[in-house]
Amino acid sequence: MNRTTTGAAAPPDAGRRRFVLKAGALPLAAAALSASSRKAQASTKTSAHIVIAGSGLAGVALANRLTRELDGAKVTIIDRKEIHNYQPGYTLVATGIWPVDKVSDRNADLLPGRVEWIKDMVAGFDPDANTVLTEGGQRVRYDYLVVATGLHLDYAQIEGMDVSAIGANGLTSVYPGPQAAQATWLAMDAFRRQGGEALMTLPATPLKCAGAPLKMTFMLVDRLREAGKQAASKVNFHSALDNIFSVKPVNDDVLRRWTELGVPVTFNSKLVAIDIGARRATFESPEGERQQLGYDFIHVVPPMRAPDAVKNSPLAWQDGPFAAGGWLEVDKETLRHRRYPNVFGLGDVNGTPRGKTAATIKKSAPLVARNLIDVIAGGEPSQRFDGYTSCPLLLREGSALLVEFDYEGRLVPSLPMIEPLQDSYFAWLMKYRLLKPAYMAVAKGRV
Amino acid sequence: MYEIWLGLNIMFEVALTVLPWLLGALAVWIALVAAALLRGRARWRSTLPASVMIGATIAALGLWFVPLMTKSSIYEMGYWVDWANLIGLSLAVGGVAFAFIWPLLATVACPDSGDPSCGESR
Repeated sequence: MNRTTTGAAAPPDAGRRRFVLKAGALPLAAAALSASSRKAQASTKTSAHIVIAGSGLAGVALANRLTRELDGAKVTIIDRKEIHNYQPGYTLVATGIWPVDKVSDRNADLLPGRVEWIKDMVAGFDPDANTVLTEGGQRVRYDYLVVATGLHLDYAQIEGMDVSAIGANGLTSVYPGPQAAQATWLAMDAFRRQGGEALMTLPATPLKCAGAPLKMTFMLVDRLREAGKQAASKVNFHSALDNIFSVKPVNDDVLRRWTELGVPVTFNSKLVAIDIGARRATFESPEGERQQLGYDFIHVVPPMRAPDAVKNSPLAWQDGPFAAGGWLEVDKETLRHRRYPNVFGLGDVNGTPRGKTAATIKKSAPLVARNLIDVIAGGEPSQRFDGYTSCPLLLREGSALLVEFDYEGRLVPSLPMIEPLQDSYFAWLMKYRLLKPAYMAVAKGRV
Repeated sequence: MYEIWLGLNIMFEVALTVLPWLLGALAVWIALVAAALLRGRARWRSTLPASVMIGATIAALGLWFVPLMTKSSIYEMGYWVDWANLIGLSLAVGGVAFAFIWPLLATVACPDSGDPSCGESR
């Protein structure tokens, strides 16, 4: 069942050469990109076996970098998924901006030829024995491990929730995948034609793309406005926290905008149950008081945690704020495991403050690759991560905010002229047209 | 430097997504230039002002249609960074239009290669 793809006979830069060939019509760009990549190529000789758990953006980006920058290493990636979904595009699909087929690519097209691909899911980790266990029963030994499994959408914490019902009875949720995003748009499109009561939710756990619930709210209001149904509708936002976004300037700015748009926010109000057929949602306060509300449209954002394979393993945080979610216990600066020095973490699974986005991976994948190579070479990690992440926050069709921030919640624009809280066509253009190309370049290990 | 490298990669990846169209456009452009050069009597100089004018007009129109093509509008320009990007994109569109129109005009302005008045201003 597990097909492995090995390329021992392939030249060291086969992936790069394939890339350059594809660029036949773009000789200048190809020459520039190729020349630059050669500088960073195959500088460290090793016979180490590196296992990457997960083939999302983090896993694929790291596989490309390690196969290029290590000479002689065996790199294995474990994940059954054949389709590679561009998750930052889900909000565009779910709000009618992109067609659904724009968010799906093939992992086979993104993985380098020299990687061993075990098409199975990780079932557990035994870091004391340097072993990964798969659902198919394989025990894969490693010298170094990179955990990039992503996270688990814990819809089960919401009583009565049924992911397969997304799209029916006004039930929506952008997170599970492209089909759910498409179904969400169809439900939103139907809702905006008639208007009514909408409930938007936010759980108390760490989230991937924490801006998505806010984008969905802004875009729902915009779609109602376009349809002339804004006045006949009520959009209410329920946050399980005492804020809606962990970065205070952004939080305050969005709340001000929602006041102007007539979107009230109920804080400390957690979605705990839903009756899909009756269109009723139950919210709970921190004191345990429950309130049932009817709706015509609801956007459910699930609680999130680490996948069971990580949560139930010794690799998870054992205490502290990240223990409840079972997040990976890494040092937030080096992204190296705090107790197992031959283990690194990359992406959503990391138990670090903020930063579960593709932008985080864009910045941290090169860093993890370098730190891992430092360790393989017998040294200590040389790179430090500042927690950079980014959120192009859709305000309406045609305009967005380009918010970038770090671990401390400081706004850190990549370019000094960018004003993070300014309604912007440029930010919109980035989200609409330029970030997926950037994502692909990250996945191929070039940026 | 990183942002420049990132920008180059974005342009490259965008180009990959429209590669057939790019190749087709390149073939048309080569055909236009080749046709103009091979005739030997194309009016390059005399058609330059008109070509520049058409390219500039298309660039100006780009201020409206570039945002529309990206599901936005000129009314969404929030600050100077938006305007700088829009003007840059519009100039690029005008420049591409000019690159096609100039050899085309240079050729069609002189349809009869036997006309002695053609080719004077090559």
